Amino acid sequence: MEQIVFGIGITALAGALATVAGSAEDTESNIGSQGDPNSQVQLAPQMGFVHRIFNKAVAGEPPAYGLWCALGAGLAWAFLAMQINAVLAIVLGSLLAVFVQGIYATTAYLGRTASLSKFGQPVYVDILKSMTTVAMAHAFVAIFCTVTICYLINVALGHPFPLPLLGFIWGITLGAAGSATGNPYYGKERQYQNQKFGAGVPISASGNIVRYAEAGERNSLDNGFFTAKFGGPASGLCFGLIVFLELWRTIVFDNISPGIGAIVVGILIILIFTVIDRYIEVWARKNYGPYTAPVKEAAP
Amino acid sequence: MTAVAAKPAAGSAMNPTAMVVGVILLIILLVIAAFVSPGLGLMALIGVIIGGVLIGFGVHFVPVGGAPAAMGQAPGIATGVAMLAAGAGLAGLFGGAWAASQGFAIAIITGGVGGGMMMAITCMMVNFVYVFGMGIPAASGKVAKDPITGDTQPEYKSQGTEGHGLPFVSFVGGVTGGILGGAGGTLIYLELLSLYQATLPNVMNASSAQVLPIAVSVAGTFAIGMFLVNAVLTAYNITGTIEGPHDPKFKRWPRAIVASAVASALCGLVAILIVTI
Repeated sequence: MEQIVFGIGITALAGALATVAGSAEDTESNIGSQGDPNSQVQLAPQMGFVHRIFNKAVAGEPPAYGLWCALGAGLAWAFLAMQINAVLAIVLGSLLAVFVQGIYATTAYLGRTASLSKFGQPVYVDILKSMTTVAMAHAFVAIFCTVTICYLINVALGHPFPLPLLGFIWGITLGAAGSATGNPYYGKERQYQNQKFGAGVPISASGNIVRYAEAGERNSLDNGFFTAKFGGPASGLCFGLIVFLELWRTIVFDNISPGIGAIVVGILIILIFTVIDRYIEVWARKNYGPYTAPVKEAAP
Repeated sequence: MTAVAAKPAAGSAMNPTAMVVGVILLIILLVIAAFVSPGLGLMALIGVIIGGVLIGFGVHFVPVGGAPAAMGQAPGIATGVAMLAAGAGLAGLFGGAWAASQGFAIAIITGGVGGGMMMAITCMMVNFVYVFGMGIPAASGKVAKDPITGDTQPEYKSQGTEGHGLPFVSFVGGVTGGILGGAGGTLIYLELLSLYQATLPNVMNASSAQVLPIAVSVAGTFAIGMFLVNAVLTAYNITGTIEGPHDPKFKRWPRAIVASAVASALCGLVAILIVTI
């Protein structure tokens, strides 16, 4: 019983850390403009819309976070092997991984933006100076939380995978959850704030991203400020639920009925989320209604 | 013929010659495995191939909209095919590896359920953001009616887009893809783990307990690597985006099955050779 309570405590802590990690990951990717919405940041100057948005999407979020979290976890593992205190080892590992992220962000911004010079897009050094550090700070939070989750899973819950492998797996999952949930909010709701609310961006508007703020030109910090209110927490909720429920079903129900318990509860969780998803879909159809009148089927 | 004049339907056409070449390559690789390591190695390779095929087939179910989905211009999840499939499959592999000591079937089902759970949560959150964050209902661009619920789709598409969000059939496809991917990844891991547990003590001249961490690490790394190989191969087959099992691109799956089988066989052979030569 004591072991189950301990496991539930670790699970709750891991879930909370994952929520913070997901939120920080999405905000970092929006400030750095990584992920699919960055296609518009890259496209805008080619359509004649020069902007001051950061631009660092060389890889998608999942592989990028897979790399950074695996690096952080691998280095933390090495420090642990050198008998360094666990908290310090995780902080140092995450810190070194963040430097790699910073190099990646700097070279990506310079390279990608310089490639747009023929369309008149300048490389803004002040943007590089002010945004890179903010993106790095958010990345540190995301990497630190993820590596800590991996450490807890490995040491406290006894998962067989070594720390770097866990870092890679949960880094990829973090990026997948964060980009899937957070990308539409940044891509549609923020970049195309000038388009109608409650409708997708018409394909003809591609590249015409919003470039001006309340005062002066909009930059990526404004985007991070905006998406941190909804896209970030939603991504955090998504990754937090994934980590928490995956650990919870194993820790609690494997002790009640080894093997079968976790499977049955997992299937039940899938069914519950299916019902919630269907409810949301039907709710939207009823409350928002169709855009055009339904096409009547021809009488037989 | 110029590129402009070429018919765009080439992407969905099956190439019988390539399929036959693929099958021949597969047989050659199996024969090499049978020659190098009959018994355990060959069985492991067959397991790896089945796992790879499960992953390749499963990725076709995952609704991925890529960049257009991030602007609400196309339905699906706003990220890359390979990345999302890898996220789901690796979450499944995590659960499957944890349950490895509880038996083969239990571990594979646990892995499948883990992948399905990850996709169910992610797909639900995608619709949550679309509906409550952006005020956009789900609509498919490929079918007039949802094949599962019968909901009509065209009138819920906003002007100038191909649809948006995840209609119910795409949600079900995502969960199915996660289940297949998680189960396939776990199967590869278990096959390689049993091979390494049996062979590494002799190769490294150490006890079973001493080689266990190495066996787990190497099998896990190979399983992740093969997952990515199969996910990326399938991403090429899909050419970017797919809505799910109702998308016409889904019919391309036989081509990906052959490609996944050959790629998994080649990677699996390398994984076997490191302990048998």
